[in-house]
Amino acid sequence: MILYATEQRLYVISAILGVLLFIAGCDSSSSEHKSDESVIYAIMPTKIQGFDPGYTSDIYSAEVTSSIYECLYTYHYLKRPYEIIPRLADGMPQISKDGLTYTIKIKKGVYFADDACFEEGKGRELKADDFIFAWKRLANIKFLSPNWWVFDNKIVGLDRFREYTKTCKSQFDVDYSREVEGLQIPDDYTVVIKLIRPWPQFIYILAHHPTAPIAKEAIDYYGKDIINHPVGTGPFKLKLWRKSSYIELVKNPNFREEYYPAEGEAGDLEKGFLDDTGKKVPLVERLLWLIIEEEQPMWLQFLRGKIDASAIPKDNFGQAISPARDLTEDLKERNIRLVKIYDPDVFYIGFNMEDPELGKNKPLRQAISYGYNRTREIELFWNNVWEVAYGFIPPVFKSYSDQIKTIGQRYDPEKARQLVKEARKIHGGDLPTLKISVGSMDTQRRQMAQFYERCLEEIGLDIELEFMDWPVFLEKLNTKSCQIFSLGWMADYPDAENFLQIFYSKNAAPGPNHFNYSSERFDRIYEKVIVMEDCPERTRLYQEAEKIVLEDCPVAFTTHRVRYILLHDWLGNYKAHVYPFGVWRYRKADGAKRAAYQKLIKRLK
Amino acid sequence: MTTYIIRRLLYTIPIVLGVLLLTFVLFTLVGGDISIELAGKGASAETIEEIREEYGLNKPLFLSWDSQFINHFKKALTFNFGRARDRELIIDKIKRGIGPSLSLTVPMFFGILVISISLSLVIAFVRGTVWDALAVIICVAGMSIPYLSFILFGQYFFAYKWGFFPVFFSPDLSPPQYVALPVLIGIIAGLGGNLRFYRTVMLDEMRSDYVRTAFAKGLTPGRVLFKHVLKNAMIPIITRVVLAIPFLFLGSLLLERFFGIPGLGYLMVEAIGSRDYYVINAMTYISAILFVAFNVITDICYAWVDPRISFD
Repeated sequence: MILYATEQRLYVISAILGVLLFIAGCDSSSSEHKSDESVIYAIMPTKIQGFDPGYTSDIYSAEVTSSIYECLYTYHYLKRPYEIIPRLADGMPQISKDGLTYTIKIKKGVYFADDACFEEGKGRELKADDFIFAWKRLANIKFLSPNWWVFDNKIVGLDRFREYTKTCKSQFDVDYSREVEGLQIPDDYTVVIKLIRPWPQFIYILAHHPTAPIAKEAIDYYGKDIINHPVGTGPFKLKLWRKSSYIELVKNPNFREEYYPAEGEAGDLEKGFLDDTGKKVPLVERLLWLIIEEEQPMWLQFLRGKIDASAIPKDNFGQAISPARDLTEDLKERNIRLVKIYDPDVFYIGFNMEDPELGKNKPLRQAISYGYNRTREIELFWNNVWEVAYGFIPPVFKSYSDQIKTIGQRYDPEKARQLVKEARKIHGGDLPTLKISVGSMDTQRRQMAQFYERCLEEIGLDIELEFMDWPVFLEKLNTKSCQIFSLGWMADYPDAENFLQIFYSKNAAPGPNHFNYSSERFDRIYEKVIVMEDCPERTRLYQEAEKIVLEDCPVAFTTHRVRYILLHDWLGNYKAHVYPFGVWRYRKADGAKRAAYQKLIKRLK
Repeated sequence: MTTYIIRRLLYTIPIVLGVLLLTFVLFTLVGGDISIELAGKGASAETIEEIREEYGLNKPLFLSWDSQFINHFKKALTFNFGRARDRELIIDKIKRGIGPSLSLTVPMFFGILVISISLSLVIAFVRGTVWDALAVIICVAGMSIPYLSFILFGQYFFAYKWGFFPVFFSPDLSPPQYVALPVLIGIIAGLGGNLRFYRTVMLDEMRSDYVRTAFAKGLTPGRVLFKHVLKNAMIPIITRVVLAIPFLFLGSLLLERFFGIPGLGYLMVEAIGSRDYYVINAMTYISAILFVAFNVITDICYAWVDPRISFD
């Protein structure tokens, strides 16, 4: 037998290959192992859109962004019912007797975080002009902000400024020095806002993250990339954002002196929520959100003590929660705590009313609403914890009425099939395949979408599912590119008026009215209620508006969320907050307890 | 030999150009003007025009030095793929993803290679026995179990239950820490198919006359297997091994997703999920280039290892 290859050659080939691959395989960018002290490890169930408060409109982006950017006002961290308090403002606004003029002083000595966009990289002091710039930027039509609705037809002269921006070539050609009558700055620390008509909810808007001030230098320097380079005044600044992997914020050394609250609601003292009163915030050095889209790794990571708080995946619910809706013994032994949060939100299957198939075919939309089995969804996906939604007002709001249960659409497959027949008549033949867009690619959302498909195919509709990640989904909604979509709306402030916003015709996409729904009757009520103070008549009008929406059916309401959040005992000051803007500054992590947990789980085995 | 290598390298030029042409046809001509997709149905003409300007879609398709066709070539040849949909430079994303991907796939690749070749030699030696049958059954079972099951079980037992490894990626961990378990799972999941393949290769060799002669001469089984059989089985091994290398750069989609490893597999899935044609285009081009390059390396290795293959 002749051996053709010499051994040396084989060894040379193998060695070269091995060395090359080994060198390539070494990741030189690895970070060294850091201490767990003073860090909070949180979960982000999806990629976020970015950090531009003017451009992002989802709760996930807002939760992170609000640790970097701040608003004039905010909600008290501990007091309930939720109370508005100053954040960047130096006191509550002075409101004129007619309710039209707001004079707001801003705090002195507030600095932006250091950034290359500033002279010599040093963050400068916040001035009144930074608010005006940020608000005019929302009005810039070329900027395509989904948050314009917060000021639309509210401030004297701002809508005219928006008209002017139509004439500019691009968003960066707009002259922001143009005067807007309703936005005045008598001095560097005072903002005067003139409203077109009284608007009681305006104070809430000033606590909502799209109204955060932005330094013009940052926009000039980063342009469209500002979404990746936040420059704010908040307690944290961005260290690293790996789009689909993690978001790391670190303490902003320029952050002013701000202290943990001294008051709370009854029972807070006993629960230890006032233990850190008077301490300077933020209470941790670092915030780390791990982006984990799949449920198993998220759950196991939590049980191993590698993340501090977690929701409960549907398949692990029985392991965590007993039939009495309390923690199981296993989790109690691990010193895990349970927090239940009744969110002011509503989830739904939305219809794009500008779609030629759906917009003109009400029986088709109604068929989908009657054909969808909400109770089964709650059983299958939410462990019977969430509640069926019959309308858009969440049960946690006082304007909610139980009567809605008798009016709202419910699962009725027979009626749905009848409606499909009517829809076919209107269409003039067989209905085309309908496309449902889902803004997530994780297993649970896929299963849920398949459940939509199954319910609707049972009533004789052809359904196609389209999956995409969250930022692309939001982009598609903002550009009216979805036919049917699965989404939810979480209240931005504690007033059901916020839910009326999502059906107001002038708020069509890129605004929050993703249905692009338009009803004169509804608009009339909306325009009437926004100037009204809280009173029984306003509540009645909210409910009337809800009935109009149910009648026109631009949406099939499905559920109201009830969150069960698990916390490790080292995560301190975690008080449930349904408007979680900038709340991470008050939370803390006890490194010693975190280390002790590792010993505890070894012992438990 | 130098002439041979130069000739093989010259052959790659039309292939690379063909790949570029194909990606241009697919992503620009067949895919259409993506500015409408990016701007959305409700966008104004100005917005669409702004996007067309930014991505160079308002330039002529051909017949100009500044055409989309020429720019496509220029970008690819200089590895300057422009910006992704989230405005980050694509090349930065790729550079960042290569390290974690290779940290995962390279040890997995060598692990599978060494274990499956060694075991296949042993199995070939005990062919026809109960051990051989048992090995085949295990291999088939290993091939039949879905990859995801290996991941879920591995993550649950090795990481969570027994605590040998971290459950998931964390920026506070070093690559050896966060890739150790996925590598182990990848090796276990990949063994079945590879072991079966190498067993077949080794069995073919074991039936050769020279093996019978070597045993007849009184050589030890170890010497026959590792010195003679392995050496003569090198051609199919090289073919499989070298052509598998380009795929190492693409990472492992499922492992990266379930262990949160920020590699290129994840980048590709993410690009598909976010309809980021520019990232998909760049990754397709890089994969094709790597595939062509490693094909050339395979040919050179053949010629070097087996003198029967002529350089002419």
